[in-house]
Amino acid sequence: MKNQWIEFYSGIVTVKITGKGIERLINSLTRNGIVIWAVRRSGTDSIIFKMKLSDIDKLRKYRRGTNCKVRFLQRKGAPFLMKRLFRNSGFLLGAFGFIFVMMILSNIVWGIEVKGAKPATEHQIRKALTEMGIKVGKLQFYMEDVETIQRNLTNKIEELTWVGVELKGTTYHFEVVEKNQPEKIEKIGPRNLVAKKKAIIVELFVEKGQPRVKRYDHVVPGQLLVSGSIGNEGKPKMVSAKGEILGETWYKSDVKLPLNSTFYVFNGNEQRKHSIKFGKLSIPIWGFKKISFQEFEKEQNVKKMRFLKWEIPISYVHETYREREKVLRKYSKEEAIQMAKNLAREDIKRHISEEAIIKGENILHQTFQNGNVNLSIHFQVIEDITIPQPIIQGD
Amino acid sequence: MAIRWGLKVRRWMTEKMDLPQDVMMDLPRITMIGQIHIYIENHRGLLAFSDRELRLLLKQGQLLVKGKGFVIKTILPEEILLEGKIDQVMFIND
Repeated sequence: MKNQWIEFYSGIVTVKITGKGIERLINSLTRNGIVIWAVRRSGTDSIIFKMKLSDIDKLRKYRRGTNCKVRFLQRKGAPFLMKRLFRNSGFLLGAFGFIFVMMILSNIVWGIEVKGAKPATEHQIRKALTEMGIKVGKLQFYMEDVETIQRNLTNKIEELTWVGVELKGTTYHFEVVEKNQPEKIEKIGPRNLVAKKKAIIVELFVEKGQPRVKRYDHVVPGQLLVSGSIGNEGKPKMVSAKGEILGETWYKSDVKLPLNSTFYVFNGNEQRKHSIKFGKLSIPIWGFKKISFQEFEKEQNVKKMRFLKWEIPISYVHETYREREKVLRKYSKEEAIQMAKNLAREDIKRHISEEAIIKGENILHQTFQNGNVNLSIHFQVIEDITIPQPIIQGD
Repeated sequence: MAIRWGLKVRRWMTEKMDLPQDVMMDLPRITMIGQIHIYIENHRGLLAFSDRELRLLLKQGQLLVKGKGFVIKTILPEEILLEGKIDQVMFIND
């Protein structure tokens, strides 16, 4: 038996032949390679059978010269189905339109929920969100991803310790933990102040406690600076030593800086491309021009589409190509030394506290080697060198 | 006389060499499944067809199939599959 399904795709026609000498016609059809099946007599001089749509032309050709009439009774199969589908394309259009509208609606923000925040903070959060473009009724394509929203919120609003952002379908959920800022009650037990590092004492500001060092004293780490034990020899009283002791400390920084260096800078030219990606197939919808930049950096932003609550393998891709230029930077020796010094200073500032002052700097040695300048710089810094050390009291 | 001679040789060869006779002698091969199906190979064309009768041309003579509710399931140049209720299969030698 033939597999009728294969014929179904090419189309099946039921034919009624009326006239005399039908058998002869059938013989000539079969001998010429036309497949016919389900042959049945329907009257004294007519026969009904099925054949392939593609053989219709041949049927016409062999019918010629016989006195038989051909009528088509039934048309089945994919070609006719397609025709009907086309005729009723309104339905199809409607179906696609429905899915499209559904998809658009699934990608709109329909709700913003803030949990765990005081009304004032909530108001602030909502204001910040509106500023960021997150509003009810906006498309999600143009929004930042969840991590960025989270970062922006925590940066913008001081009262927030942590905010959990979650996008559930069309609703943003914000879980807020506010900072409770209680008054700081400092309760410090008796303590000494000791040196943090090797230094020469420059200035002493002691509020409480007994200073044990003088100006221009050289101290080593761990050395007692201000004692928390005051009073008479026989009757010591323990207090919490408090004060600031400025000492001159020393830092050494080694800097290596190439005289000639190349790096890339963006020159502001950019091209944008928008496309829709179906699975792995990407269809451009805007920005068809070829990238004319020789050197560029590509930034890709992919937004996944959703249908109801599921993510579908269709995504909106927004690409930005930024042109960059190669820049050759050349320093003269003097400039290089200056730059190296600046670099070293920046480096030191990162290591010392904000109140510390750089008092002076000496270049220990400098060499030029392989197009690099190597600099070793010694810094004198004035900073607070105290560190508290609790006094453990025995009974 | 010469045709008769050739026929004799062929018959002798099939007998001695154990070859299937339908291949050697261009005879129809008829397969029936109960009363409902009849499958005929090696026919030479359709002569008459109605829902009670099928007449086929063979190389020698004709084949007449009688019954009820005949439908030709498949028809190819040398094969035919008939469905229905088959009552008689007859060879007509003119």
